Amino acid sequence: MEGRCAVETWAQFGFSGRSYKVKILCGFGTDVLICTGTEEIYVFSKRERKITTVLLLPAAVNDLVGNQDKQLIYVACRSGVYRVNLQFLLHRDQSSQADASSSPAELKISQECLVVGADEVSSLLLVGSVLLTLCQRDASWLLTLYKTPKQTASTSHKEFGSFHLPVASAVDCGAAESNRGPRKGSVLICIHSGDVEASSSSNASAESTVAQDHFHLEPLLFKLLFGVEAALAKSPVILCGLPDGRLCFLPLRLPGSRLRVLHSLEQPVCFVGASVVTETGHAQCLVAAGEQGRVALIKTDKAGSEGGSAVAAFTEGCVPGPVWCGCMDKSCFYYSTGADLLRLDLSEGSFARESKERGEETSGTTAAALQSPSSLNVCRVIALAEPACSTAGDVQLLGVSARGQLQRICLPAGRVDEGSSKLSSTQVSRSVRDLLSAIGDVCERASVLKTVIKSKNQFLRLLNHAVSVSFLLMADTTTDLPIKEKPIRCHFETSWSRLLQKDSLSLVCFLHNSSPFVLERGWTLSITVSPLSYSSSPAGESSSTNFSFPFHDLRPGQTFEASLPIAAAGDASFPMTVSCSLIFSLSSLLGEEEVAASFAGLQSSCISLPLSTLTVDWLHALQLNSPTATHKMATVQPSSAAADSIQTFLSSRQLRCGGRTNRGGESAAKPEPEKYSASVWVSSEIVRDTLKPKKSSNLDAKESIRDPEDLCLSLLERLLSEDTEGVKMGCQGDKIALSTSVAHARGPNGAAMKLTVKEINVGEEESTDKEATIEVQIESSSLAAVCGLHHAVLRRIQTLLQSATEKAASTKNVQILGLRRALQRAEIQQSQISGAFGEVVSTVQRDRLLLSVYQELRRNPLLIV
Amino acid sequence: MYQPPSLLEKWSQENNELVNKCKQEAAGGAVSRDHRQSSLRWCSSEFHKLLRKIQGIPPHVDHSQLELAVVYNTCVCFTAQSQFSEAELLLKEATERVLQVTGNNADTSDPLVLWRAGLKSAGNTALHPHVLYLLCLQWALWLAKCQLENIGELQMSSLCEIVCDGVGDCSPSEAKGRLSKSPLLVMEPKRLTELLQICTSIAQGAEKLNEGRSSEALSDLQAASALPATRALVAYTHLLSGSCLAHMNRPQMALQCYKRALETDSRCVCALYRSMLIYRQLGNTQAEIQALRLLHSTLMLPPATEPVLGGIQPLSPSLLLSSQSLSRLLSVPSALSVLYSLALKCVLSGRVTEGVEHYLDLLAALHSEDQHAVRVDAEVSVLPRMPELYLEAGTALLFTWRPADCMAFCNEVISTTLELVPEKVVLEEPEEGIGGDARGLSVEGEDKVAMLLWAAAAYLVQGHCHAHLKDWKQAVTHYTRCINLLVKVHLKNRDFQPQIPAADVNVKHGKDLCTLQRMKGLSLAWRGISFTQMDQLREALRDLQLSLQAFPDYTGAGLWCGEVLWRLGRKHEAAACWEKTWSLTTQTSVEKLPLYLQDPQSGPLLDSVELRFRIQELVPPV
Repeated sequence: MEGRCAVETWAQFGFSGRSYKVKILCGFGTDVLICTGTEEIYVFSKRERKITTVLLLPAAVNDLVGNQDKQLIYVACRSGVYRVNLQFLLHRDQSSQADASSSPAELKISQECLVVGADEVSSLLLVGSVLLTLCQRDASWLLTLYKTPKQTASTSHKEFGSFHLPVASAVDCGAAESNRGPRKGSVLICIHSGDVEASSSSNASAESTVAQDHFHLEPLLFKLLFGVEAALAKSPVILCGLPDGRLCFLPLRLPGSRLRVLHSLEQPVCFVGASVVTETGHAQCLVAAGEQGRVALIKTDKAGSEGGSAVAAFTEGCVPGPVWCGCMDKSCFYYSTGADLLRLDLSEGSFARESKERGEETSGTTAAALQSPSSLNVCRVIALAEPACSTAGDVQLLGVSARGQLQRICLPAGRVDEGSSKLSSTQVSRSVRDLLSAIGDVCERASVLKTVIKSKNQFLRLLNHAVSVSFLLMADTTTDLPIKEKPIRCHFETSWSRLLQKDSLSLVCFLHNSSPFVLERGWTLSITVSPLSYSSSPAGESSSTNFSFPFHDLRPGQTFEASLPIAAAGDASFPMTVSCSLIFSLSSLLGEEEVAASFAGLQSSCISLPLSTLTVDWLHALQLNSPTATHKMATVQPSSAAADSIQTFLSSRQLRCGGRTNRGGESAAKPEPEKYSASVWVSSEIVRDTLKPKKSSNLDAKESIRDPEDLCLSLLERLLSEDTEGVKMGCQGDKIALSTSVAHARGPNGAAMKLTVKEINVGEEESTDKEATIEVQIESSSLAAVCGLHHAVLRRIQTLLQSATEKAASTKNVQILGLRRALQRAEIQQSQISGAFGEVVSTVQRDRLLLSVYQELRRNPLLIV
Repeated sequence: MYQPPSLLEKWSQENNELVNKCKQEAAGGAVSRDHRQSSLRWCSSEFHKLLRKIQGIPPHVDHSQLELAVVYNTCVCFTAQSQFSEAELLLKEATERVLQVTGNNADTSDPLVLWRAGLKSAGNTALHPHVLYLLCLQWALWLAKCQLENIGELQMSSLCEIVCDGVGDCSPSEAKGRLSKSPLLVMEPKRLTELLQICTSIAQGAEKLNEGRSSEALSDLQAASALPATRALVAYTHLLSGSCLAHMNRPQMALQCYKRALETDSRCVCALYRSMLIYRQLGNTQAEIQALRLLHSTLMLPPATEPVLGGIQPLSPSLLLSSQSLSRLLSVPSALSVLYSLALKCVLSGRVTEGVEHYLDLLAALHSEDQHAVRVDAEVSVLPRMPELYLEAGTALLFTWRPADCMAFCNEVISTTLELVPEKVVLEEPEEGIGGDARGLSVEGEDKVAMLLWAAAAYLVQGHCHAHLKDWKQAVTHYTRCINLLVKVHLKNRDFQPQIPAADVNVKHGKDLCTLQRMKGLSLAWRGISFTQMDQLREALRDLQLSLQAFPDYTGAGLWCGEVLWRLGRKHEAAACWEKTWSLTTQTSVEKLPLYLQDPQSGPLLDSVELRFRIQELVPPV
């Protein structure tokens, strides 16, 4: 029914977050001063519509007052009260503005301007030549009076009195309040009796324009509240609203007066003022507002209870809070809840109208007025000042929004007659403009909210995925599925590559996502590579390496491929363990810096889900020589390059010199190094059985496999290229075509080695039950290579056998056979060892003897049936 | 060969530097109190740090002297900041360490025993003077905390006097040699002892005076006045001697003492105030007024910059003289209340013009921007409440034939109070226990009765003004207004004697009642007199008789009643009335009544001699 408010943004000044100590100070001609709780005070020129000057104080500003002739301002900072000669500053500013610089001038207020060295002054007030400061000291509120010098040049501010008021025990809402951050500490205003104004009208006119903290109260109400003596002494009364909800007063010029409590709102007082101004310029109603919306209206009740004399009537009521800030004009109290700007019409006229309608008594209607504040639909206002009434009846307010915008808020005339329905075109266009701006405002708020909701949803979805994935993986570990059937599995391939004349082994990891979930941002694949036997390393240090690969978007069915360099030729210790896990990190999910900053503890929090642990052994790391060059293998290096052979030679030499064996010198001298060998025997029956299913697709598999040659070949093939536990030797160039059952290769340390698979007959010659056995023999000049490869071959055969069906018809025989042979061998070795110890020979000899026994042990094939 | 300075040397050097810095700060003049305080705080914390360093090692004979000196310095700084408990703790620790050094054991917490043991164990060693210095500090602490009995217990004064003299008396060369070696001290122990001695005498004197042992106190104080001390302190001894003498009913000798105090220290306003009280007691009004005037002008002087002694010594006498009884003896009313007493005294003693000037000064001071609600000691404040002050000033103006100004004042009071006067007010019987205090505190402002009485008194005085101007009609109007207000008061307890209670009743309600009755009597009588002037004799007679009922002691009403009767031809009744009035002659003490309730000395007067002559004519000698 009413027109909309027009909000015009005048200036934008940066301040972050919601500051509770915003204050607007008007009345400096066309200048408006704004402090926002930081060290800065902005001087905004209404004429130029921009911030002309920024005053930089040494500490955060708590309060700001100007003196009567508006030449000086007093600024309460953390460290004390400063006095700034504004006239001087602005004048200087104007002269400098002849340069037409657009950016505001910055003026630093130096320590010389400090006039009162009191800490943490929360409020200031100037009454005539008296400066009052209010601050909390230990257990009491301290109101201190200072005399300001007449000459502006001198800076001495003499303290001549102070009043204490004990701090009341914390108000109940205090605890809840502390969460909401620091609030404006206190309110200080000055109330004059109406009589004084009449006597000194010159002052009054100056003050009435800036009635921000000086109010003229109707004499009767003044006397009722503050006593006859204060009225007779023509004393202004200081009214202070404290955070504990008390409203205290002090007649300033009455000898022997004390700070006394007038009323208690029981919630932090955030605004005190006077309104309902009559023609004589006297306010008839004192208003105090608490932070949570409790409002006390103090008026004169002419029809007193008994005896007919007037009494002061206190009407309390609650308005929708919280009250962030407020200001008053001649008849209304405006306040902002942060979400809306509200107006309470306190004037008698409105009461009378309402009371006529309802037939209630006045006190009732006052309370009723509290019930129905009218919304003005302006949000985020955190400071208000300078209500000005134009001739047309419009009210203009100055406000500061939570975003640091200085706004002029034009309110339409409060009581628009219903008759004026015919609006002029300018009014229509204005109201359309208002509506549009309001829509824009709402839209802006809505979009902000939307993005917040969206990001929250996204976050929840990601979390849901993360939880699902982790359940999936946890289920895997419990049910013990074979690797191939896991929804998220990874396997590896080793491959040798040659870069910068140096061979290097890399491990390619394939992560296949066959789960129904997308692995998104926040997920990371972490692979740890560590030597299997690092604990035995002399230095004791673990040489494990971590690799992590963040996922971006791994959809179901897709495979992620990552290549990890494990070792350059010759400097790796095989076998090594590769364990991979999926890691979900919350902080990377939250993403934005602000969130990460606010949850510092979250940064390390993540969910780690182990996927698999694998072993990369010597067989995986073998570098097979091409079959064409096999025959040259023993002496000549493959066709690669001369440098390569030198490299191999050097590295093998280094290896020996490293003290692995004590015959390094000899071997270097010999063209043909001594060979170590080890072998494994496997019953060919078992091999045949186990290799069968693999070739079952082939029709003539049985025939081919009957052939012992083929059997050896397929076993070798299987050994070299089989996919064990998800690790596979990568193709080296093209598929190795093994023609013979002998493979020549180079180990990861560069040592040449030979792998022979052949069928032999085990058993005593004379015995009839000969067992067909396949021998896997490993030969190399490097002991390490032999050991490593032997280990690898044993592992392979072990897994081979595990998968084999149990057909143990003839096992007993074989076992007996093997046992007998083993016993024989053991006897021989025993005698050899005792012989070695029995003869007193040099230690060199003994070592050699022991080594040969060891070699014997190695050479003696382990028969597996 | 260079030797690194030993710890002892380093520490004593540090101590000396600190002491010098302290002294420089003090000698630099008190820039401001804050500054002084902060420098003191800094010094004490530095000394304390040093002390903790020194006390970090077990007590040792070689270090003890330095240690005790640092304890002394630290304690002086602490005491100067009123941190008594910290200082006391340090002293106790120091004594215990002294006992440890000398191989004695202290298993007591009683400070007196501890000190005795400490003194005994340190006896005749190099430590002895230092222990004595600390004892002096302990003395200062006891004095500051008003534990005078401890001081008496240890017989401090005599002990310390002897020893300090002894220390000071050593030959110059010896002293010089020792000085160079011994660590510096912030405050010279000799000065400290002197200060302590006189302060103790003053405090003890005040205590004794308070307990009524005036003669005992007097001799002590007179002895103390010969002690070396600053002027202010000596003045205090004279002042207190004067108070003793005043107690002993020797006002003239007391005056002599006050005079001596003033001669010693011209800023001793208290002596001036006390002599004023003596003059008042003696009934020497002229001297009293003179004293009041002097007192006021002294109080109006700008406050002196901190006395010289404060600047040099860290321990100020005010710190040591903090006892309640002493501050009560030294308290002086504020300048405003002195001015008020002066004005009232002038008016009452007939120097009305002068009195009026003072009243106007007082009101101007109250209204000036410079006047601020500075805390006033309630005990000595004699300032009446604002409306009463207005009314008194108005009455004084009327006495000086300035009715227009008087009327303005009264109008002010009426306009302020009339709105708040209720339709009906109940004056209850005064009850013991519930004094006026409870009501005086009501936030709603003054209580209703007072409001009504003020408004009525204002009308009464305005009536007087009109009577003075011989505007009888207006006078009747105003007296009527006054009466109309007064009849709104209902006395609740009918048993209560509607008589004037004894004049010295101080209970507020009793005072209210007295005021009410007197005002009724005055207003009715003066309305009657006004009617007489307008020749409305019937109304006049009614009013005067009502007046006599309300307030039988009022002689004016009695005389005028007779006069009206005479004019009405009831000459015998008139004669009887006059005779009765003359027989009363109870002179109510004028001083106790507010000025505005006194009989105005203007208006038509009746000559008693002429009346007697008439009676003689009426009753012809037989």
